[in-house]
Amino acid sequence: MIVRPAQVTDLPALLALVRLAGRGMTTLPADEERLNYRLRWAKRTFAEQVERADADYLFVLEDDDQQVVGVSAVAGAVGLREPWYNYRVGLTVSSSPDLGIQRHIPTLFLSNEMTGQSELRTLFLRPDQRLGSHGRLLSLSRLLFVAEFPSLFGDKLIAELRGSADEQGCSPFWDSVGRHFFQMDFSHADHLSGLGNKSFIAELMPRQPIYTCLLTEQAQAVIGKPHANSEAALKILSDEGFDHKGYIDIFDAGPVIEAPTSGIRTVRDSQLLDLAIGAPDEQAPLWLIHNRRLENCRITAARARQSGHSLVVDRLTAKRLQLRPGDSVRAVPLLKQQQQAVAA
Amino acid sequence: MLVLRPVQLTDLPQLQRLARESLVGVTSLPDDSERLRDKILDSCTSFEQNVQNPGPENYFFVLEDLTNRSLIGCSEILATAGFDEPFYSLRNRHFNSASRELNIEHGVPALSLCQDLSGHTLLRGFHIDGAWTGTAASELLSRARLLFIAAHAQRFCDTVITEIVGYSSDEGHSPFWDAVGKHFFDLPYVEAERLCGLESRAFLAELMPQYPIYVPMLPQAAQDCIGRIHPDGQEAFDILQREGFETNHYVDLFDGGPTLLARTGHIRSIAQSQTTQASPGAFIDARGRYLVSNDSLENFRVIIAELDYLPGKPVTLDAAMCAALKVTEGRQVRLIAL
Repeated sequence: MIVRPAQVTDLPALLALVRLAGRGMTTLPADEERLNYRLRWAKRTFAEQVERADADYLFVLEDDDQQVVGVSAVAGAVGLREPWYNYRVGLTVSSSPDLGIQRHIPTLFLSNEMTGQSELRTLFLRPDQRLGSHGRLLSLSRLLFVAEFPSLFGDKLIAELRGSADEQGCSPFWDSVGRHFFQMDFSHADHLSGLGNKSFIAELMPRQPIYTCLLTEQAQAVIGKPHANSEAALKILSDEGFDHKGYIDIFDAGPVIEAPTSGIRTVRDSQLLDLAIGAPDEQAPLWLIHNRRLENCRITAARARQSGHSLVVDRLTAKRLQLRPGDSVRAVPLLKQQQQAVAA
Repeated sequence: MLVLRPVQLTDLPQLQRLARESLVGVTSLPDDSERLRDKILDSCTSFEQNVQNPGPENYFFVLEDLTNRSLIGCSEILATAGFDEPFYSLRNRHFNSASRELNIEHGVPALSLCQDLSGHTLLRGFHIDGAWTGTAASELLSRARLLFIAAHAQRFCDTVITEIVGYSSDEGHSPFWDAVGKHFFDLPYVEAERLCGLESRAFLAELMPQYPIYVPMLPQAAQDCIGRIHPDGQEAFDILQREGFETNHYVDLFDGGPTLLARTGHIRSIAQSQTTQASPGAFIDARGRYLVSNDSLENFRVIIAELDYLPGKPVTLDAAMCAALKVTEGRQVRLIAL
């Protein structure tokens, strides 16, 4: 398995993949024209022909038979072309010392706080491939890419996790908040938003803070709660140091998780090593390895052994990375130290 | 005969009885003898003072049944709402949003805490004994205040407002309070209203929501209470509406009850009342029923009288009327048809 930049020729494979994803994959709609556009844009991004504000690094996960089985992306910056909105879950205290009353009322404040930060998005792995370390490879490869090219990204990485919704795609938060202002159902609004048609948000959203105590109980219950389908993604990023600091999606109240770029484990712990071909131990840990290229970026996960400034991998891994012995790689253990200890 | 007059300290015991019977939400009438006593003294001072511009004065009136000297109702005028302490209401206004691209344009109503009604004269504390509701006594009790304003215009503001008691159930539950105020005050509705009548209103400012409340987010039962009148408040509402008062986009922050507003000079009983001289005597045919005031200050009196009155001529009043109004030959009186 390798992660590489998506190509225009991936269109049919990607279309098939996206159709499997169905609802919820709002940033990658199953629309041939839109998808084609996005692939062309990604190509220009990897060729460094676009500004950070427009950069869309779209990756695919490909098996050794050149089958595309997953997709993930990271945006150079959000909110620099059109405003980027989140709610911050803040607190209002209603207090009268004389009467002995003190009420703590969580309150939603509309915020553009994440403007200029880079966003991890569009992660989908074919269900039959959700085993081993494929999910982790698909997600973390983006972080290793950021580690190699920090100047292309913001001080923080963020990810908006899908919020709670029922089987029909109805979001209790939307029904209690957004519906009143948008006069459309959640999936339609989410669809429009995913198409990049975001100006309507600014035009229609309530500008004033919202007291959560005035929302339905169902809506209050899902604030900052990820959809069951997002829990795996949340776990992987939490292990990397991502945290929920109180920002949520304005539509479905899913958590926005964030981390300072330089503090992310993969970024912080990755090292530059020289590739060596050999026979790593069967018990050797899995490493995430990047060939340090931009347009021809290849990232894989493989058993490897560090020896001084060298990283010893098998021949197939070197081939997957399109590298020869002695070439420089950026590498980091796929799992955190304590996780490896547990695994052992 | 019924006569409306300024309250006196000797009215205290009877007022307490009235206060106990008064509707929750008539917050200016507390069932507390100390507070009531203070209110009476405050009113006496207001009547005694030489006032050139409206200030914090509160004029407290009682309606007395002269046949048995019992009090059957009371009402008040606060010269300037918000003079001494903030006067809060909720402004119900649409926040407009439009997306040309999506062809959506609509307004979302939101309630915002405001003090917009400060600086207006406030009619309040209207309460009448249950046995007298729906009679001319209610008209007298409510509209006598307007005759007082007409006689002493320099003591009042250009605009007069009043808050009508909003809906609450027989058990004392206000759906509006339960959906809004309770979250911020952590008190049952009845208790909040009681505190409002009793304590300083400073706690309101400390506890009230400062951000707008979007109406569609409220439960339907609470939305239905916005501008809804308590059945017992309907009469007070109807009387003032006939006087030219109109509802507006301000509602009470506790129960969502409506606010009525009128330009002082446009109020029927003020604009159309006429002054003339009293002429003690006897008359044969009464042509109509009137509210008659003596235009006095500390000795202000208003009665209901069946009179033979021709505009521009002195009005003949019988001995009982003259006694109730404390007027003699040639004194000015003010009349308005009932």
